[in-house]
Amino acid sequence: MDHDAAWYDIRLQGRLDPRWAAWFDGMTLTTHSDGTTVIHGRVADQAALHGLLQRLRDLGLPLLSVDRHIQNPGD
Amino acid sequence: MVGLLVETKLYRPRSRQGLVERPRLLQKDGAGLTLVSAPAGFGKTTLVSAWAAENAAWVSLEASDQEPVTFWTYVLTALERAAPGVAEGALAVLQSGTPPIETVLAVVLNELSVLPDQVDLVLDDYHLADGLEISRGMTYLLDHLPPQLHILISTRADPALPLARLRSRGELVEVRAADLRFTLDEVHAYLNDVTGLGLDAKAVATLEERTEGWIAALGLAALSLQGRSDAAGFIDGFAGDDRYVVDYLVDEVLDRQPAPVRRFLLETSVVDGLTGPLCDAVTGQPGGRAMLESLERRNLFVVPLDDRRQWYRYHHLFADVLRARLLAERSDITDLHRRAAQWYGETGDTVAAVRHSVAAGDVDHAADLIELAVPHLQRERREATILRWLDVIPDELVRRRPVLAIGFVGALMAGNQFQGVEQRIQDIERQLAGPVDALVVVDPQELDRLPGAIETYRAALCLIAGDPAGTIDHAADAIRLAVEGDDLTTSAASALSGLASWAGGDIEAAHRGYAAGAEGLERIGHIADVLGCSITLADLEITQGHLRQAQATFERALKLAGEEKLRGTSDMYVGLSQLAWERNDLGLAADYLRRSEDLDADLPQNPYRWRVAMARIREAEGDLDTALELLDAAIRVYVGDFSPTVRPLTAVRARLLIARGELVAAQEWADSLPIGDSYLHEYEHVTLARLMIAQHRDCAGLLERLRAATENGGRTGTLIEILVLQALAARDPAVLERALTIAEPEGYVRTFIAEGAPMMSLLSTLQRRRPDWAYPRTLLDRRTQVREPVAPQSLLDPLSDREIDVLRLLTSELDGPSIARELVVSLNTVRTHTKHIYTKLGVNSRRAAVRRAHQLGLLKITR
Repeated sequence: MDHDAAWYDIRLQGRLDPRWAAWFDGMTLTTHSDGTTVIHGRVADQAALHGLLQRLRDLGLPLLSVDRHIQNPGD
Repeated sequence: MVGLLVETKLYRPRSRQGLVERPRLLQKDGAGLTLVSAPAGFGKTTLVSAWAAENAAWVSLEASDQEPVTFWTYVLTALERAAPGVAEGALAVLQSGTPPIETVLAVVLNELSVLPDQVDLVLDDYHLADGLEISRGMTYLLDHLPPQLHILISTRADPALPLARLRSRGELVEVRAADLRFTLDEVHAYLNDVTGLGLDAKAVATLEERTEGWIAALGLAALSLQGRSDAAGFIDGFAGDDRYVVDYLVDEVLDRQPAPVRRFLLETSVVDGLTGPLCDAVTGQPGGRAMLESLERRNLFVVPLDDRRQWYRYHHLFADVLRARLLAERSDITDLHRRAAQWYGETGDTVAAVRHSVAAGDVDHAADLIELAVPHLQRERREATILRWLDVIPDELVRRRPVLAIGFVGALMAGNQFQGVEQRIQDIERQLAGPVDALVVVDPQELDRLPGAIETYRAALCLIAGDPAGTIDHAADAIRLAVEGDDLTTSAASALSGLASWAGGDIEAAHRGYAAGAEGLERIGHIADVLGCSITLADLEITQGHLRQAQATFERALKLAGEEKLRGTSDMYVGLSQLAWERNDLGLAADYLRRSEDLDADLPQNPYRWRVAMARIREAEGDLDTALELLDAAIRVYVGDFSPTVRPLTAVRARLLIARGELVAAQEWADSLPIGDSYLHEYEHVTLARLMIAQHRDCAGLLERLRAATENGGRTGTLIEILVLQALAARDPAVLERALTIAEPEGYVRTFIAEGAPMMSLLSTLQRRRPDWAYPRTLLDRRTQVREPVAPQSLLDPLSDREIDVLRLLTSELDGPSIARELVVSLNTVRTHTKHIYTKLGVNSRRAAVRRAHQLGLLKITR
């Protein structure tokens, strides 16, 4: 399995303003009507992914799911 | 080795006014580990602070504490402050290089297990330090946790510790997010009793539901409500919005601040610690200190880090929100970082300056800062800090900066990371061979030092690879290439060459190298290193049979150290003690050891050297049991250094076994000897000869080989001893005469009289042959002098028999519970005895009690 760059969807409980995008290194933030937020973007490697999750932890935001895509689903 | 400690990390937060009492959380107790695990803003620190004893050992951890030496230095320092004496020994072992962490912790556990009092250790924000290496030590600590120690951990993520095992043994108390959330009653108490907002039950219930009892959010809500006329309207708006709670509330609070306050909060969020002048530098506005005090009074985001209103930080949660807003709103953030970097650079905090330079995208400036800081950090032995920058500075930049590159080479080698070092050195040589204007160098003079420095590191690489000839060659190149006045390179190279010569048995060359190294170090003011070199120099001089020169070396080093109590001063006295012992002045020898102990300026090797020296004195007094206990203790606390191990403690112990007549045990030692003919085994071979003489076995061949080798090698001190053994083995006064002739100018006594009756009869024969020679007669007289017996106990308040029993066990490896079992008493009784022993001996630790006991001769076996 490729352990390097990949695209991720990280779903959180709660609505996070899109202006947090810069805080999460330019990932895109989409809020949904069910009161969740999805952070989507390319993550360089596993260490970067854990760094991202740590930032979420530090904000006290409940984590719902983490999904990995081999290709950018938007392409 | 860690440099100066950051005091604010050991600061215990004062409990603030206006807290909600939470007795329901404090009822749980009686376990070894209390784990408070919950996300940010759940009141973990407040809870732990209410829980821990007033004198708790407190460490506020940071990401830099993932480095084990840093982590344990803080933890042990905090313990030492909470219970003076308890961690002193462990700190000394920790600073001795890179001992396994279990070795360090065994020393502190040994003290803790007999500690009369309880001690609480608080590790706040443990998630910042958690990692494989920290877990290893923490797990060991928890597996051996004495009942006297209670550990409290606050963390945002469950630590990688054996929690399930502790849980099943009932040794873990856990407080988690669900416990920490404010209940409806607590929300009520907080909003109405503490903040005095006077909200009705419905409003309280709404806020409780929206924040889910999250304390940080409730605090922000209370801030937003203060001075608001339409509390109900605000609460409705808040409840009807599903935005991230903290985001929403920080917006509310920020939007109500005057523009300068809002700006201040956002701009200063880029730094970790806040102090007036730093804030002024970052914002470019005066009044930072007053602003911080006003924020503290209004309870607005800041947490004080000391009692003097100098340093603050933002609450972690708010700092993140502020930084995220700053990122979204402003485009000049790199300027803020650049100004922070400049302030830190000017105040000498290179670590922070580098961090902000990198954040400002100014890697070149960061590289400049590192390049300038390297010599200072190396002098302070803070190579671990340099190593952390390896990942920060891109390789292509290092490839243009040879001075920076050699700094990294030095740091890697100091950290025992030799892999790839040769490659890096070759890279630097390629850089230097290329065009000069392609190189980036902050201080051009440093560039001239490179050729010498490169060869010095090559010499060190050879020494580590076990290639003394290569070491000597490269060291000679280094000295040849060193520029005029580069004493650091020439002294390092000289000392390396000396070490290589020593391992090869060329004592004269070793002495030359070391003496040149010490002189150079003295010229550039590295006095602490001169003290370290003096031990080696005197050791070589003693081997050469130059006792007077060794005496002068120690005295000179003491004079250099002056009143400063530099590390290593104590070790000079241990050295002087050895020389006094050889002159058979046992009183003075003991006196030097007492001075050594009182000084408390030890090198890491002092604990074992001190015990060996004391064992010699006890042996000379005829107390062979205590001498053996001391040698066993010395073996337990042994810490090596760069010097070759020319007198292994196991061989020193074997000699004592021979003196005790325990020839079977001594033979076991001999059977385990590695077969080797090099000079490094000479002491062991002489020991073997002693064993064979005691066993009435023929060792004439072995002794003759040793005699020739020591005589050719200029190892006159050893030669004298071998001649003594030859004289004894052959009962030949003529050989003794030769030994005495060589020994007389240097005043040797013990080397002769320690051999007892057979030597005395040889000396008498010799005296009859040469009645006019004073030296043999003096030796015979010395032998018959009876030493004053030590007064049974010179303590004002003597120890009871039971206390003596406990004291004797304190010298062993047994922990508190085992001592209690041995004496068939409770652990509490042992702790009470320990307390009385410490008071009577005027010490505060097990280690000090044991030393004092040996010094006062309290443990002489009278049976």
